[in-house]
Amino acid sequence: MSAGSDPGSPAAVLQRPHRTRVQVFVDWVRSRRPANSWPALLGLAGFAAMLVLQQLIEPGTQRLLTAVFMFVALAQAWNLIGGYTGYASFGQVAFFGLGAYTVAVLMNNYHVSFWLAMPVAILAGVLFAVLIGVPLLRLRGHYFAIATLGAAEGLREVVNNLTPITGGGLGITIPTFGDQVPTPYFGKPGFYLAFLVLAAASVAVCALLARSRFGYAMVAVNEDQEAAGAVGINTTLVKVVAFAVSAAIVACAGALYAFQQIEFYPTDVFDASFTVLMVIMVMIGGSGTIAGPLAGAVGLELLSQFLRVNLGAYNQLIFGAIIVVVVVFFPQGVVNYFREALRSREFSVLGNVRRYRL
Amino acid sequence: MGQFLQAAAYGIVQGGLLALVAVGFSLVWGVMNVINFSHGAFAVTGAYVAWLMSQRFGLDPFLAIPIVAIALFGFGYVIQRGLINLIINAPIFLTLLLTFGLNLVILNGLQLLFTSDDRTIDTSYASQSFALGVVNVPYGRLAACFLAIVITVALALVMTRTRLGHAIGATGMDRGAARLMGIRARHIYAVTFGIAAALAGIAGTMIATVGSFNPTTTPGQLTLDAFVISVLGGLGNMYGALVGGLVLGIAESIGGLLLTGTWVNAIAMAVLIAVLIIRPSGLIGKAQYSGRVEV
Amino acid sequence: MIAPQAAAPTAILEVRNISKRFGGLWALRDVSFSVAEGQILGVIGPNGAGKSTLVNLITGLSRPTSGQVLIDGKDVTGSRPWVIAHDRVARTFQIVKPFRGLTVRENVAIGAMHGNERDLSVRDSLATADELLEMVGIAKHANDAPGQLSVADARRLELAKALATRPRLLLIDEVMAGLRYAEIEAAVQLIHRLRDSGITIVAIEHVMKAIVSVSDQILVLHHGSIIARGAPRDVLSDERVIEAYLGNRYVKRRST
Repeated sequence: MSAGSDPGSPAAVLQRPHRTRVQVFVDWVRSRRPANSWPALLGLAGFAAMLVLQQLIEPGTQRLLTAVFMFVALAQAWNLIGGYTGYASFGQVAFFGLGAYTVAVLMNNYHVSFWLAMPVAILAGVLFAVLIGVPLLRLRGHYFAIATLGAAEGLREVVNNLTPITGGGLGITIPTFGDQVPTPYFGKPGFYLAFLVLAAASVAVCALLARSRFGYAMVAVNEDQEAAGAVGINTTLVKVVAFAVSAAIVACAGALYAFQQIEFYPTDVFDASFTVLMVIMVMIGGSGTIAGPLAGAVGLELLSQFLRVNLGAYNQLIFGAIIVVVVVFFPQGVVNYFREALRSREFSVLGNVRRYRL
Repeated sequence: MGQFLQAAAYGIVQGGLLALVAVGFSLVWGVMNVINFSHGAFAVTGAYVAWLMSQRFGLDPFLAIPIVAIALFGFGYVIQRGLINLIINAPIFLTLLLTFGLNLVILNGLQLLFTSDDRTIDTSYASQSFALGVVNVPYGRLAACFLAIVITVALALVMTRTRLGHAIGATGMDRGAARLMGIRARHIYAVTFGIAAALAGIAGTMIATVGSFNPTTTPGQLTLDAFVISVLGGLGNMYGALVGGLVLGIAESIGGLLLTGTWVNAIAMAVLIAVLIIRPSGLIGKAQYSGRVEV
Repeated sequence: MIAPQAAAPTAILEVRNISKRFGGLWALRDVSFSVAEGQILGVIGPNGAGKSTLVNLITGLSRPTSGQVLIDGKDVTGSRPWVIAHDRVARTFQIVKPFRGLTVRENVAIGAMHGNERDLSVRDSLATADELLEMVGIAKHANDAPGQLSVADARRLELAKALATRPRLLLIDEVMAGLRYAEIEAAVQLIHRLRDSGITIVAIEHVMKAIVSVSDQILVLHHGSIIARGAPRDVLSDERVIEAYLGNRYVKRRST
């Protein structure tokens, strides 16, 4: 019963020689070279292009693109917990509002600099995510969705009622004039840059996570938690971390948004339709990929602005109708549809509809 | 003490009304696994239909109910058969998105047609109340509550005693097996959704008689209430919706008495989350359609 | 002077007085046994005897009502499944549970990534997966979706996934069900080779021919309790075992 002489034998395959720590480190460094580097190059090119673009466009378009960048970040964040891990959170806006109010309260009440307030806001988002994540991530599917929705609504009410601290229903204002200003206002160009960096960072973080061992773990948890646990994946940890990273990105967006808006009310930053917008962007783009939410966010936000400008009173109606049409014709998401169509050379949209119908 | 009883009484009759809003939503969710984001919009549409009847023909809202029911049933049937059935087999959140889009279309359509002004249907009797000991019970809400109970019981009977009800239940439990038995699932789904829409419309009519409504804030509030009540009562559970409605009504009423500001809503959310964690199948027992095999 | 007694080697798996109750039903009642390293233990019993429940209790998928599970002498009762997986215990599922959205290779790679070899990169895990697929015989399906595999190949994938975590103890749950004769032969060969490479195996099985040719010892469960344990031949001719499978009357007829 020779154990190791036959290279293909179970013994040879299953019992590797022990590697020293140095060998482990060297192997790790070698493996950092990504197998497929063109998405990263594309991303860098896109980032550079956006920087250049800023010099060429007018302030109105700058504002539009700033909003697009914000939704890119929000969509990527939702995709992490909802797309990859399969836990559709309908309370993401809770982290947005939490980030916004943390920054506003710190800057308004305690004259803290934005650069200090923002990390605190992110931390607040992460802590809240861990706090509600540990009990709620035990729930399945739509129960998790409602529970997070409830958490978001509840948080809004709490903020609404803590009037001495948050200003309650009267709103809160971040000081931007005078000598007592903690941080000078960024202005449109500044916020364009800030949100662009946030968008780029979220795409980068999510892309790196998706390709890593953690990314595979998320997908495994999504597909089959029992099987995932059986091969050594700590499912609770994976879920909570995905939720927390997602929350961090959203809270950061909320923090920037607060500073940008200067003045807002609880209903502005705890608006449940924000969450639905995030979900729509991801689903229409295609969940579980990096390009999908990106396309969804850009496409939908641009569309929404276009409609608002050109169609006036009818814009929401048309927007709703477009959503209905896209969901019916591209249930798997536009990006995924094109990906599969390119692979199988089948472009029939009607055929696509037939896939999911009753 | 008197205040407390008044709040409780108000809560009960309000709860009956809320239950009526929720029962259709719960049915659709339980049977078809569809979360209808536009449920509140259906209710408000029903309210507008009744309001139109009242304005144009002077028709009493309670008499307008059959018209509203039929109109909304048709509307719901077409929507389900023509739209929602197309993505039934896709992940559940797609129906959520579809109904979200639908919601936008309906709300904005109503807004364009009727403006976003608050409307109400005045009746001579709805605002009056009678005294029950120390408590004042408004007629309008009492009638709505009574109607809600009647309808819920009737619906439960339909579900358990009629062929249609059995077909709906069977399709909800195991669509594939139901189809193999000759049940036309597309039609059954459309009928179920139509029933839910009709019930929502009736509820909207009732709300119009006892208070005011508008196309911007009312639908969202109603859908959220329906959500909470369905979870509390168990998906697809008719009597559960009734209980859930009563619980919510009483909780909101007494909460409004004891707590200042909108802490009530926060408490409601906390209760919801607690129920989900401890007893996800609802307060009063099994969600009817928890184990489902899709075909 | 009393000669010091050599310490008995710690069994790799020891189950002490395990019981599991579901409502009013006792799925397992006071079950105790141990498995020495390098053994192949077969577990048989009529349907409903509690075999799969036993595997679930040992691997942490469910918690025993009472009793203990010890791996290498360490009490792991009630530990979460991934903790036990990192104690070098792996299992297959009776109804296979592949990750459907991933390719066959990725399915196996996940086991390598998150199993007992902690520092494996994604790329190395995929390479390991290829080796394992070769070993179990489904290398040609590496890029396919799990849903496209035949029953036998799906079982092989399930096995490869478990092996990717580099276990010392492997629990396999009815791998032979529904296989054709030649496939059973191949599976038996594979199990022998696995044992030769140092893995202890506990095999739950229904297919008698397979379990007899594979096991060193057989454990028989019936209504949640052990009714026999020993060498295959002895166990299968044990009257209580025959009665459990074939009923009272058959036993009586045999003895007349």
